Amino acid sequence: MIYRIFRKELLDTLRDRRTLMTMLVIPILVFPITLNIFMEISSSFQESAGDKTMKIGIVGDNTRNYTKQLEAIPASVGPKTMEVFKDSLTLRKAIEKDQIQLGLIIPANEKQLVAQQQTIDLNWLLDASEVGRSERAELYSSSLKANAEAKRLQALKLRPEQIRPVIINTINCASDKKMVGQLAGGFLPYIFIAFGFIGCMYPAIDLFTGEKERGTIETLLTVPVLRWKILFGKMMVVVSSGMLAASCALLGLFISIEFLDLADNQELLEVIHSILTPKFILSMLALLLPLVIFFAGLMIPIAIYAKSFKEAQSIITPLNIVVVLPAMVGFFPGITLDITTVFIPVVNVVLATKALIAGTLSLTYFLSVLGMMCTLATLAILVSQKQFGKETNLLL
Amino acid sequence: MITVQDLHKTFSLTKHQRKELHTDARTATAVANLSFTCKPGRIFSLLGPNGAGKTTTLRMLATLITPTSGQITINGINALEHPQEARKHIGFLTGSTGLYARLTPLEIIDYFADLYKVESKDKEARKKYLFDLLNMNDFLHQRIGKLSTGMKQKVSICRTMIHDPSVIIFDEPTSGLDVITAENIIQLIRSCKEQDKTVIFSSHIMSEVDLLCDDLAIVHKGALKYHDTMDSFRTNMGSNNLTEEFIRIVQSPTA
Repeated sequence: MIYRIFRKELLDTLRDRRTLMTMLVIPILVFPITLNIFMEISSSFQESAGDKTMKIGIVGDNTRNYTKQLEAIPASVGPKTMEVFKDSLTLRKAIEKDQIQLGLIIPANEKQLVAQQQTIDLNWLLDASEVGRSERAELYSSSLKANAEAKRLQALKLRPEQIRPVIINTINCASDKKMVGQLAGGFLPYIFIAFGFIGCMYPAIDLFTGEKERGTIETLLTVPVLRWKILFGKMMVVVSSGMLAASCALLGLFISIEFLDLADNQELLEVIHSILTPKFILSMLALLLPLVIFFAGLMIPIAIYAKSFKEAQSIITPLNIVVVLPAMVGFFPGITLDITTVFIPVVNVVLATKALIAGTLSLTYFLSVLGMMCTLATLAILVSQKQFGKETNLLL
Repeated sequence: MITVQDLHKTFSLTKHQRKELHTDARTATAVANLSFTCKPGRIFSLLGPNGAGKTTTLRMLATLITPTSGQITINGINALEHPQEARKHIGFLTGSTGLYARLTPLEIIDYFADLYKVESKDKEARKKYLFDLLNMNDFLHQRIGKLSTGMKQKVSICRTMIHDPSVIIFDEPTSGLDVITAENIIQLIRSCKEQDKTVIFSSHIMSEVDLLCDDLAIVHKGALKYHDTMDSFRTNMGSNNLTEEFIRIVQSPTA
């Protein structure tokens, strides 16, 4: 009988355009659209910053030498023009008016410092809020620095190794998978949890408050079926909807990577492929299922209590923030799954998913999170059942 | 057959409700010590003004809500101890009944037939009988949301009767319906009587009661004010017409 109720409610839900949008369409499209927009904007900014002609203003001693050095830098770094200024104040004003994009201030005693083999302080003036200017200044600086160092070594008749006794390198021992897990691991569970919640929301309101509002609950409760069976049939639809929304978000991500070439880095693509294995997907869905049941168990008592769709929506929508905020914990570095976080709902699933992506989730922690969430899901079901049994909640 | 004995129902009042009703009482009595019997093949009418406790009484009979005290038996089944068993015998229809707008009449009827565990062979025969009787075959596959009020009412009737209940409860069934649509309900109530079913219906319209009922109970503020046959009511009337007599009984200090 539970299955019969589930079938009917699912059919009814799948015919609701609003639910279909939040359950299927938006989750599938969110990744391709947002990633595409992000990549387009990011690359167009980079391209425009790289193609833009930078006017460089130079002021100070020996400007001819520095102009020559800058002119010698290949145009592939970016087109540029140069202008010599009499004083730094005029140069600063020109930068503020964006007549000049980069200003190079050379010390007034530059020739003397070179002759005495002293350190020369070169200063760049720029508007750092503009995209690409700091990067361009960095490129020019490294070139000027290399030239100055080469000249100094030549004057001292030294080889570079003689003044560089040690080179210290840092070698990253973390696997690429772990790095991706650390960088993107917080983002993925956040998205899945958010969609799991939103996916539950409309069916929960529609199947409980909506049924009260439309006056269909009265007839349903007169049939010879136990109320908990009616509740379970409906709850299964709410949970399926949440799981479907989260799965569709995963599908959308897969489509973005595989078919829209949004991750054009071959190495990164290989890492992503090694993460998105059937084992990973099943483990993640196993973590997500009790969480979605927990969400359904939070929403259903509210939906049963509310007298109108609007009232239910006004209570459940702020709950979204309460639930989704802890999911942001995944964005912070240093917070990992431990004996405390394993007992914090939502946070534990986020951290477990993050560890799952990085390939560092131990079986003990996986089972602990699963156990914790199953306990909460059971409690949520019991609360829903209690609320569904109250006659004052069911009849308007 | 419905037997009701000393039926009592009180509701707890929330702070908001106490404020609305201008009362300090923590509970409100909706039904007080109601007793009556509805017999098969007769139409029993529960008459009373708005807020008299008619809907609460019928909801208790339909096992939708539990009485605070008292006894209800449906065809000899104790409805309080065995509500699931009692529900198999009951068909419940109200004037405010809604239908699933995104489903078709056929899907709704199939769903309720399954919920009532109607055997597949009986289900097909019952569907054919009701669809023909109510002239529903032309709109069986259209979504409920696109049907007229009359068509929806036919679907509601069909849903109520699909499991061939022997006890039918109608809560203000013609409320808000036009004359032609209300006529479907009147016909249904008459046909139930002909089929020897137990019928109870609530109303606040005296003319409707006069047209249909065999036995009458008048309730006011949850209490029974009058209970006898309709013939006896007509014979012993102390007023010029039925409506005046109804008002006189409701306003009298004792039954």
